[in-house]
Amino acid sequence: MSVLNLNPQTIKQLKRFRSIKRGYWSAILLAVLLALCLVAELLVNSRALMVSYEGELYFPTYTAMNPGSTFGLEYAYETNYRELREKFEGEDEGNWVLMPPVPYNAFENDLRIGSYPPAAPSFEDQHYLGTDTTGRDIVARLVYGFRIAIAFSGLLLTFNYVAGIIIGCAMGYFGGAFDLLFQRVIEIWSNIPFLYVIMIVASVVVPSFLTLVIVMAALGWMQLTWNMRTSTYKEKGREYVSAAQALGAGNVRIIGSHILPNTIAVIVTFVPFSIASGITFLTALDYLGFGLPPPTPSWGELLSQGTNQLQAPWIVTSVVVAMVIVLLMVTYVGEAIREAFDPKQFTYYE
Amino acid sequence: MTSYFVRRFLLILPTFIGVTILVFTLTRLVPGGPIERMLNEAALAGAEGSTTISAGIDGRGGSVLSDEQIEQLKRYYGFDKPVILSYFDWLGKVFTLDLGTSTRYTEPVWETIKSRLPISIFYGVATLILTYGVCIPLGIVKAIKHKTAFDNVSSALVFFGYAIPSYVVGIACLTLFAANLEWFPLSGFVSDDFDDLSTIGKALDILDHAALPLVAYLAGSFAVTTMLMKNSLMDNLAADYVRTAIAKGMAFRRAVFAHACRNSLIPLATSFGNTITLVITGSFLIEKIFNIDGFGLLGFESLVERDYPVVMGILVISSLLFLIGNILSDICVAFVDPRVKFGSGGSNQ
Repeated sequence: MSVLNLNPQTIKQLKRFRSIKRGYWSAILLAVLLALCLVAELLVNSRALMVSYEGELYFPTYTAMNPGSTFGLEYAYETNYRELREKFEGEDEGNWVLMPPVPYNAFENDLRIGSYPPAAPSFEDQHYLGTDTTGRDIVARLVYGFRIAIAFSGLLLTFNYVAGIIIGCAMGYFGGAFDLLFQRVIEIWSNIPFLYVIMIVASVVVPSFLTLVIVMAALGWMQLTWNMRTSTYKEKGREYVSAAQALGAGNVRIIGSHILPNTIAVIVTFVPFSIASGITFLTALDYLGFGLPPPTPSWGELLSQGTNQLQAPWIVTSVVVAMVIVLLMVTYVGEAIREAFDPKQFTYYE
Repeated sequence: MTSYFVRRFLLILPTFIGVTILVFTLTRLVPGGPIERMLNEAALAGAEGSTTISAGIDGRGGSVLSDEQIEQLKRYYGFDKPVILSYFDWLGKVFTLDLGTSTRYTEPVWETIKSRLPISIFYGVATLILTYGVCIPLGIVKAIKHKTAFDNVSSALVFFGYAIPSYVVGIACLTLFAANLEWFPLSGFVSDDFDDLSTIGKALDILDHAALPLVAYLAGSFAVTTMLMKNSLMDNLAADYVRTAIAKGMAFRRAVFAHACRNSLIPLATSFGNTITLVITGSFLIEKIFNIDGFGLLGFESLVERDYPVVMGILVISSLLFLIGNILSDICVAFVDPRVKFGSGGSNQ
């Protein structure tokens, strides 16, 4: 603690956060999930983790693609490591292939002779949650879809926060005409039917990852801006601001190093809920077909496949369970943070 | 106060123009509009038996439609003028309540929208009644029985509804109760043999179809409304006037219902106007999931089909309702809370 040089207030808040068990454990679990997602290629991938071929070791996960000829196969395109493993096992010459726990990537169609996708969950085929309507592994789609959704929410959050903090602080701190102008802008902006306009934009320009983030940020920056304005406005009236002004501190310095740290509760409290709404929104857009273009792995696209293929309940079930778990955990964390930063005690009488 | 509301009503116009001009421009800039679609359809129809599918590529020569016809079409849709001019043409028509003609159904947009309204209104009103009918009593009971088993169990449910978006609830219900258990029909507003049913049969049929969508709709507002009710009632129970009432010897029950409850309804009033909006516009997601032929599904389909007159028509109606709904919320708040004075501080949300 002393290394980080935290002030007593922050330590108290951290302690309070840790005392709320379900929020604390959700946070740890989420952190683990995120870490696993960063190295998803090692866990869910069609490339092998390790290949031992004629005494030499290969680690194909993050390297350039190895053509089949590297391992004594006839073809020059990328090695099919699952077939290679079966071949090596059959030959029994001391060569071996170590595959990740789920040996499929999010894009390949695992079509088998004699059956049509979607295929039900099967441990034998290592499709632990089955395949979707084009034979792609659902675990792989879920994991990589989650990674994209989290990255999306994170980026959206950054955009919204940069805009919200700068504009909100300026509105609250400078007040006057600037404040009035942006009040009107926000008033007008928040009257746009949000989802519909995004759908219209997305139907017009097939959105890439970044354009979708920008469009959503352009329509969603108001909430935090408004909260930041209110709390900056409150802080500005406090004595320490006048003291800093009397000492000759500039506006940027006052906002940046005096006011901002005191409004940190507003900023931090919003993070988990913003992440949750980012995921929810992206999934909804993907579900409607106005989100990221195929074949990007996405939960929404899986949901829409699942509702069209109700005879394959494993598709819907997987996504719904995954969404419920992730969103519940994020919300637990959010509640715990809110509780830690703003403990509310009720007293009442009977 | 009056001046505040007058100002709010006047602000509708610039906001409305801002939103529509943005979307109108967007719909004009894109390829794949009605003209391209007609050209493609004409080309496909003309190409039967022959191989002149290249019609759309150079737009001349092989094209089934002559240049003159294309010009005519463009004039018909107003594509021959600059964006800003055709926008004001369109806006002028909107002010005379003419929303144009649907390119997909070739009937007036207003007729298309009107035919979907009853269904959306049915779901909207039912959701409204259910939400307030369930959430207010539940919130009151939860506040009084704070930290009891009932409160904790229902909190878990509320929390679940808070964390999980309503469309996921809808999809889960659809999969479980309609597809797997087959308790409820999969989609639609009524059965195919609806007209042959008796009056009671009709009512039951509608209920049967409405049960799952209503659960999904309810899930959307359930948690927030219940918690709002509970928290504001608890705030009020801790307030001095309730303490005074109890100190005077008033029964706790009476103190809750006669004093605290009315004041606790004030925060709920702020969201009332938005609920009105939902009455008409419904939800794209839930209507799509349950294939309900309402306002939201119409908006979704016309977007997919690039039927821009309908898209714009729906935008007009939903943004107007949204604007009016917000003002309605303010009026509601002023109505239940005589202390509220808008416009003095200039900082209302």
